[in-house]
Amino acid sequence: MIDERDFLQRAHVDRTTLEVWVREEWICPDCTRPERAYTEMDVARAGLIHDLKHNMGVNDEGLDVILHLIDQMHGLRRALAEALGSLGEPGKGAPGS
Amino acid sequence: MKDPYEVLGVAKTATPEQIRKAYRQLAKKLHPDLNPGDKHAEERFKEVAAANDLLSDPDKRRRFDAGEIDASGAERAPPQGRYYREYAGGAGHPYESAEGYADFAEGNDIFADLLRRSREQSRRAPGADLHYELHVPFLDAVNGVVRTIALPQGGTLDVTIPAGVEDGQTLRLRGKGAPAPGEGPPGDALVRIVVEPHAFFTREGDDIHVELPITIKEAALGGEVRAPTTTGSVMLKIPKRSNTGDTLRLKGKGVKARGGAGDEFVRLKVVMPKEPDAELDAFLAGWTPPSSYDPRREM
Repeated sequence: MIDERDFLQRAHVDRTTLEVWVREEWICPDCTRPERAYTEMDVARAGLIHDLKHNMGVNDEGLDVILHLIDQMHGLRRALAEALGSLGEPGKGAPGS
Repeated sequence: MKDPYEVLGVAKTATPEQIRKAYRQLAKKLHPDLNPGDKHAEERFKEVAAANDLLSDPDKRRRFDAGEIDASGAERAPPQGRYYREYAGGAGHPYESAEGYADFAEGNDIFADLLRRSREQSRRAPGADLHYELHVPFLDAVNGVVRTIALPQGGTLDVTIPAGVEDGQTLRLRGKGAPAPGEGPPGDALVRIVVEPHAFFTREGDDIHVELPITIKEAALGGEVRAPTTTGSVMLKIPKRSNTGDTLRLKGKGVKARGGAGDEFVRLKVVMPKEPDAELDAFLAGWTPPSSYDPRREM
């Protein structure tokens, strides 16, 4: 787990910006502790948000849509990978079994 | 090394605005997170990012144009961290979404079945494990105890510390970790035990060691003295003519764990009175040890 100070440093964002990102649910820290905790995944996601906003000129409205679609795409990719994996296993849902 | 103008597809006379535009255009196409299945996207994106790094900095661009630095200067572009796509494929994270295929999973065919299974699996992914450290007094670690710890996120957690728990051991409390993001079971709490040292007991494996001070009279004449054990004191018979360093064993008075029990080893230590004692002085002054009593004979 990464604490907020480390996260801000590694993600190159200031606290005010992060507050907006958390409020918009673009970044979802672990809030079950007294201090928010972040994962490596959150750092990578912050990098993506930064790239979209600053290197590709995506505005906040567009960012919302893009993140949502990217997450759906990863969900689909995972489901597809699992489905393909199941097909490869004999007797586990393979056609004709 | 590729020419950065070529990489971005701009003329050598391109304005900063044209360069920015060209970079944005390529980044949108090549960013690895927008191409999660393209293994080469990262390489190509890095090339474009490096070219942009060189040409978007007026000073670097001027020096490149003047031939002072070559395109390899662009190779030292700020190192990119890891991409989101490397993490997003897993299950049980807060950003997971099954909305992209939910309708497919409703049918009756084999793919629907597979997709449902996949969705179920991610919905039931367990929460994260939480790690704690618990300091336990020496005697509680030997005898076992139930301790309640206050959790940083509020609430308490009862931890049953088994008798004989060792320093550094980790107890796993099933279901006491973080709640699952979906409907899965919560993670586990992992409690690392730190055993605090004791004022006079030490532990070696399942054996307990203690140093027991005795008077010179007890050492010389022997007798019964009270000796502490981890479960209360017992009467211990000191043999006549005991010495500092002599060790007596109290069988079964060590750590009770794993079916058996260790022993307690009592190391005697002869202690002279701290206060002046005229009577003792007078007695010893009038006492002539036999010639055979020479503790330094072998030195």
